Amino acid sequence: MTGPQPWRHRHLLDVAHLTAADLETVMRRADEMAVILRHRGARRASLQGVGVTILFYEASTRTRVSFEAAAKRLGADVVNVAAASSSVTKGESLVDTIRTLEALGADVIVMRHGRSGAPYLAADVFGGHVVNAGDGWHAHPSQALLDLYTLRARLPGGRVAGRKIVILGDILHSRVARSNVWSLTTAGADVWVCGPATLLPGFEAWARALPADRRLTVTADIDRALTGAHAVMALRLQQERMTAGLLPSLAEYTEGYGLTATRLRRARPGALVLHPGPMNEGVEIAPDVASGPTSVITDQVANGIAIRMAILELLAAPR
Amino acid sequence: MSPRAPRIGEPCRHLVIEDALLVDPLSGRHGAASLVVQEGRIAAVTWARSTQAAEDRAVVVMPGLVDLHAHLREPGGEDAETIASGLAAAAAGGFTTVCAMPNTVPPLDDAAAVRDVLARGRASRSPVRLLVYGTTTAGRAGERLAPMAELAAAGAIGFTDDGAPVDEAALLRHALEYAGGVGRPLVEHPELRALTRGAEAHDGLAATILGLAGWPVAAEAAAIARALAVLAEVVRQAPSGAAPRLHLTHVSTSDALGLIRAARAAGLPVTCDVTPHHLALHDGWLGGDRRYAWEAAEAPWAGQATAAGPYDTATRVNPPLRSPDHALALWAGLVDGTVDAIATDHAPHPETAKRVEFGDAAPGIAGLETALPLVLAGVAAGLADITTVARALTAGPVRALGLAAHGVPQPGLAIGAVADLVVVDRAAPWTVHAATLRSRASCSPLEGSRLDARILATVADGRFAYLDEDWAGATDR
Repeated sequence: MTGPQPWRHRHLLDVAHLTAADLETVMRRADEMAVILRHRGARRASLQGVGVTILFYEASTRTRVSFEAAAKRLGADVVNVAAASSSVTKGESLVDTIRTLEALGADVIVMRHGRSGAPYLAADVFGGHVVNAGDGWHAHPSQALLDLYTLRARLPGGRVAGRKIVILGDILHSRVARSNVWSLTTAGADVWVCGPATLLPGFEAWARALPADRRLTVTADIDRALTGAHAVMALRLQQERMTAGLLPSLAEYTEGYGLTATRLRRARPGALVLHPGPMNEGVEIAPDVASGPTSVITDQVANGIAIRMAILELLAAPR
Repeated sequence: MSPRAPRIGEPCRHLVIEDALLVDPLSGRHGAASLVVQEGRIAAVTWARSTQAAEDRAVVVMPGLVDLHAHLREPGGEDAETIASGLAAAAAGGFTTVCAMPNTVPPLDDAAAVRDVLARGRASRSPVRLLVYGTTTAGRAGERLAPMAELAAAGAIGFTDDGAPVDEAALLRHALEYAGGVGRPLVEHPELRALTRGAEAHDGLAATILGLAGWPVAAEAAAIARALAVLAEVVRQAPSGAAPRLHLTHVSTSDALGLIRAARAAGLPVTCDVTPHHLALHDGWLGGDRRYAWEAAEAPWAGQATAAGPYDTATRVNPPLRSPDHALALWAGLVDGTVDAIATDHAPHPETAKRVEFGDAAPGIAGLETALPLVLAGVAAGLADITTVARALTAGPVRALGLAAHGVPQPGLAIGAVADLVVVDRAAPWTVHAATLRSRASCSPLEGSRLDARILATVADGRFAYLDEDWAGATDR
């Protein structure tokens, strides 16, 4: 893998355009942040005086808190805007909201939105930096980066390239899956996405369209997917997939695609288990797997702060 | 006295176009020629002795274009377009006849509303002919028939709830029957809405990568299959003097064309149109690709090597921009005659409806002023010959909708005919900027793109409707 290079992105909107060198830059910066985080109360003043506004149009606890903790550790002035309590409910447009936040002193906007592509509109009108904290089904860059960081930390030899990594569950509606496809294939992994056929449309065509140096396999056959896997990432299953007629029942989903200890035996010994959270234990992942010896789910949460510190500093630290 | 440029609306007293490529779909003749207009009529056409290299002529003269599908938004949507601005845009795009859609606010579902729009067209003093549709159902609500006979008597050329299909199959049947009795075509927007709820983008590679909800091909094909089955039933049962006619508008998929091709082979009275944007653009444009469909067919996803940012709401349209293979199938349909017409589906929206999240943006492209250049780009790429596209922009729509009965002349360039033509230079590149377009709306995905063909002059009904101010060819002498 190539070494780190000067960061040249103004915003972090997607993972698709990040090169292997970009990924390396984020990983190394996150390593620095992890050192700081190991010392309780330690800070770094790189974002002193920088206004970070966290604008969430969707409910979320962990990502919002993670970004907030990251920004504060870097000395930023953090403002939280929950869309439900803002003028959004009064019908203010996204463009107006962004302009208002800019006028109120935001240098960085960390944004979560239910519509795919919304952060691009924000970036189009905002004079500062936009960090996409999840947009619709499209992208969740910080999640993909923390997943990559966690895999590098825990896979033997720290190597992701050539490793079989399975993303399991509701692929169609998952920004986590899409962003991980980009980052993991850029890192050279052998990526598999697996779920029931109703939750996979379009991905087979995507796999076929990718250049040969990106390895993506799509299957509804969970046994085939898990066989020989080095890591498995289970995705949250939303209740509304049943009401939309995509799945007959939670029970049938768990029966067919729940990640259980028995199933996991098809993977390599010591295969890592990931989940972006929040988990439905007993649905997409069995409790004993979620808390099992090879689960790195709590590592993901801890690494999330280091990754988000790295992202904020790379984008917004005065140079 | 030095010559002065004629003003818009003035009679075309004297116009000489020398050594151009003349395309006359009426006579079927096309070749190098010079054309003279005197006192509003075509006074002389002198064909070059040798037709060699006629295709090399950059300047083309063809009959004035006929758009059977445009949204002029007046009344009720004047922040997006007015009849006057829409007709000015049409003229700048080479169109001399425009058929306005009735989904205004309020919709054109009664005779007074139809007469009012026609009166506004006359008041605009544009030389461009304005024709209007009435709605298929009262209030476009899809529940009961609009007063079709009254609408027709007031001047409606046909009926459509465009923007929406007639969902209820029994009502669709009755609409076909009744419109047949009134002697007007029914124009259907083919969309099975059960398959497009929440849909944002063609159900293909771009939707998958961009995380947009898929708009399946099946939504169009299924709606058309149903409409054709109903049409066949109506044809079987129709009394004499009530022959139904069905026109399917903005057809966007290969699958739909296959169904239409088979229905026509079976003798069903069905016609269809495609739009310039579905011919030339593709779903990759949602991701920032700015190649034409035929350039992208081999490698549909340009990935990071894109020319523009993703999620441009100007690319959001109903039906959605399809994958390049569908666009190529539309060209094939034009060439084999399955497609009768190219229609713009000019659908302007105010900025407040477009400067929002992609999935919340109003679907529609303002296309009147870029239609001919886009289609000619396809001709330049060899997808169809110029006579084929000229026919689809003139004689095709006139025949499909029976517009001759509404005062639209047969599109031709015969000596003695009232001049109704467009002059276009195929080698005069320009960059599309909303500010320089006549349409009030700025919703063109071509914003910032370069087009090779430029309209030099439009003459409608013997009068100047548009004149490129830099074109030295036309002076009033």
